[in-house]
Amino acid sequence: MATQIVMDRTGDTRHNFDPKNADALLKAEKRFRELTGAGFTAAVRTASGEAVVKRTFDPNAEETLFFPRLVGG
Amino acid sequence: MPRQLLRNAKERLRLFLSERGRPARVLRDRLRRQPNRIDPSLRFVPDFRYVYGERETRGLELLKERLSPEQFAQYDANCYFEVTGCHSGKRYRISHGTSMNIHELDGAGLPCVGWCFAPKGYLVAGDVMLAQKIALETDERGALAVANKFFVPTRNMHLHY
Repeated sequence: MATQIVMDRTGDTRHNFDPKNADALLKAEKRFRELTGAGFTAAVRTASGEAVVKRTFDPNAEETLFFPRLVGG
Repeated sequence: MPRQLLRNAKERLRLFLSERGRPARVLRDRLRRQPNRIDPSLRFVPDFRYVYGERETRGLELLKERLSPEQFAQYDANCYFEVTGCHSGKRYRISHGTSMNIHELDGAGLPCVGWCFAPKGYLVAGDVMLAQKIALETDERGALAVANKFFVPTRNMHLHY
């Protein structure tokens, strides 16, 4: 089971999907494109625990974290 | 003679207040460093009492799952953790908070410059700190390009009036 975690006002929203299911994968890819298009940054956690920023959808990513566009405070 | 008595009384009162004030200051500082401390300004957000704690806890869990063991230990002990910028190799200290909580460290490990950037919109502290960590570790230049710099008073600085 793969997960897309989106940071939001509630803390975070998690979308779990089965990467072997073509429909679910398509939906996850659509969500990825919508979020990154809206300015979110997508970071995938590697096996070693490090975060890697992804510009395109990675169907093999087990966990992708999305956070909103950064702004100066 | 009365003047001397008054002076003695004043001195004793000053010592008494100083002694009593110290534990109070220590307690106040300890409470300020509590990770789950609630920002008083948020008390006006509707339903804050019911929802805030849960959101804050979830954000902190998300952060703690993604900290390295060293960062986790640092955060657990001091309410801050340090990261290395991916481009410059500089060290940054991210303190618990949502704004003005990033300090660039000098060679001696002391804060020299402050940087302020955060994800857009309202997010809890855990989420903000995680986004700041990922940004500095994966796209330091991009993060600092949008950030605002702020002045950090150093220990050696002397103010002249």
